[in-house]
Amino acid sequence: MSAGNASGGIIPGATAGARPLFWAVTLLGLALVYAPAVYLLAASLNPGRQLGLVPPSEFSLVWYQALGGERRLLAALVESLWIGLATAVVATPAGLAAALAYRALQRGRGAFFLFLMFALFVPGTIQGLGLSVVFKLVAVRPGWLAVAASHVLWALPFAFTVSLMGLAAVKPSMEKAARDLGAGPWRTFADVIFPLVRGAVVSAFVFSFLLSFNEYARAYYLVGRQNTLPLHMFGAMNAGTSPTIYAFSGLVLFGSILIVGLLGLMMGRRRGS
Amino acid sequence: MTQVEASARPRRPGLPRPPLAALPAALLVVGLGLAPLALIAFWSFWRFDPATYWITPDYTLASYAALMDTGRLPVLLRTLGLSALTAALATLLALPAAAVIGLMSGPRKAAVLIALFTVPFFTSALIRAFAWRLVLGRNGAINQTLVAAGLIDEPLEWLLFSNFAVIVGMLAAYLPFAVVPLVLAFGRIEPSVIRASQDLGAGFWTTFRRVILPLVLPGAVAGFLFVFVVALGTSSEIQLLGGAGDSSISIMINDVMRVVNFPLAFAIATVVVAVAVAVLLVAVRFFRLSKLFEDLGT
Repeated sequence: MSAGNASGGIIPGATAGARPLFWAVTLLGLALVYAPAVYLLAASLNPGRQLGLVPPSEFSLVWYQALGGERRLLAALVESLWIGLATAVVATPAGLAAALAYRALQRGRGAFFLFLMFALFVPGTIQGLGLSVVFKLVAVRPGWLAVAASHVLWALPFAFTVSLMGLAAVKPSMEKAARDLGAGPWRTFADVIFPLVRGAVVSAFVFSFLLSFNEYARAYYLVGRQNTLPLHMFGAMNAGTSPTIYAFSGLVLFGSILIVGLLGLMMGRRRGS
Repeated sequence: MTQVEASARPRRPGLPRPPLAALPAALLVVGLGLAPLALIAFWSFWRFDPATYWITPDYTLASYAALMDTGRLPVLLRTLGLSALTAALATLLALPAAAVIGLMSGPRKAAVLIALFTVPFFTSALIRAFAWRLVLGRNGAINQTLVAAGLIDEPLEWLLFSNFAVIVGMLAAYLPFAVVPLVLAFGRIEPSVIRASQDLGAGFWTTFRRVILPLVLPGAVAGFLFVFVVALGTSSEIQLLGGAGDSSISIMINDVMRVVNFPLAFAIATVVVAVAVAVLLVAVRFFRLSKLFEDLGT
C-alpha cells in the first residue's frame, strides 16, 4: 500500500516535528478505540460486585464461571451463531462473484462500487424497519431467516471489498495463460483464480460471520421469540443486575479481535512467503 | 493515477460475463435494500388506519407535517449536529493517522496500523459503547485517576450520561470509517511529487500544506461524510451513554413504531435516507470519490 523504503515510508527525512505530533494523534486514536475494551476486560476479573480494577493477585474468574448458568444468554448465543453462519454462507459467494464482475467491468466501476456499498450507509434501524414491513407483506415470519436476510445485506459490502483485495493477487496474464491452454471460464476459476484467493474468501466468510454476530439495530425489528445475542446483551446492560454481562462482553469483544488478528497474521504470512 | 483510460484496461478473458456474476449481489442489494426503502418512502404518504392498525392509501403529507411537531424537529437537528461534530473530530484524528500510515511508515508498520484501525469494524459497537460506562462513570477509571492525582476533589459528573460521553463513544466507534478512505487517498500520492517539492526547497509543513493536503482532500471529505452518515443512524451510544431522555433519529423511530404509527416512522426514515443519499451523491459528484476506490483489486 505505501511506497518508499522499508524503514521510513516515503518521507523518511526531517519532518519539522510532524512525526512525533502525528504519531501522538495516531496513538490517541488507537487508545480511544482500544482502551475501554481493555479496561472492561480487566474489570471483569474483579470478583466483587462493585466494578473497578483490583490488583492482579485478586483476579478471579467467578463471573466467567457464572456464565454457564445463564440459560437465556446461551440460547441467544446459539441463535446468533446460526444466523452468523447463514449470513456468511450467502454473503461470501455473492461478494466474490460481485468482485469478479467488478474486475471484468470495462466502465461504470465507480457506480457499481457505490451501488454495492450502499447498504453501509443506510442506518440499521431504518433498514430493519423497511425489511420488517416487506417481510410482513410476503408472509416471512420474524425469526432467524428474516434476521439473516438483513445481515446478508449488511455483510455484503465487506465480503465484496475483501474479495476484491484478494483478487489483486490474480494477474491478468495468469487468466490469459489458462485460456490459451484451453480452460473455460469455470475451469479457470476453479484451478487458477480460486486457489489464489482462498485466503481472502476465508476472511470474507469470517468477517461476514462477525458482522452478523455483533449486529443489533437490524435484528431489533426482525427477531422472533428467540433474541439474538446483542439484543439479549443490550437488555442485560441496561438491567445492570449481574456483572456476568461484563465478563461476557469482554469474552465476545476479545474473541472477535483475536479471530481477526489471527486471520491477519495468516494472510500476512502467506503474502510474505 | 495509473489507469487514466478505462478503455486501456485489458479485457479479462475467460470469466463469466460481468452482468451474470454481478447478479446475486445485485438481487440482494435491490431486493433486501433498495426495494424496502422505496416502499417505505411510498407508504410515508399514506394514512394510518386505527381500525386495522395498518395504513390505507390516502395520499397526504400529514406525516411530514407531524415531523415538525413539538419535540421531533429538535431531535432531528440535534442528531445532525452531533453527527457533524463527531465527523469533524474523527477526520481531524484520522488525517495524521493516515499520514503516519501513508507517509511515515514502512510497509510492515503500515500494515499493522491499518489492521489495528480495521479490527473495530468487526467487533460489537454495543459492547464498545458499554465499556465507556466503566471508564467515564462516577467510579470510573478517569475519575479515580483524577481524584487520586489530587486534581479534583469530587468525581466529575458530566463525564458520563452526557453529550460528552456520546461524542467520545461515537468517535471511538466510527474513527475507522474516517481512517480507511484517507489511507486510500495517501496511497494514491506519487512519491515523486513529494520529492520534487522537497528538491525545490520546501520544508515538511510547506509540502504538507501545499502538496499533500490538496491531494488527500477527497479522502478527507469521504471520511467526514462516511462518519457523518453512519453517526446519523446511531442509537446504542446514545442509549448507553447519553443523558436521561436523550434521543436520536433511530431512537425516535423506535418510539414511533412502539405506538405503531407506521406513516410517521416511514416519513422520518425517508427524510434521513434522503439526506444521507443527497450528501453522498454531492460528494461523489464534486470530489470524484469513486476514483478513490478504482484501483482496488487491480
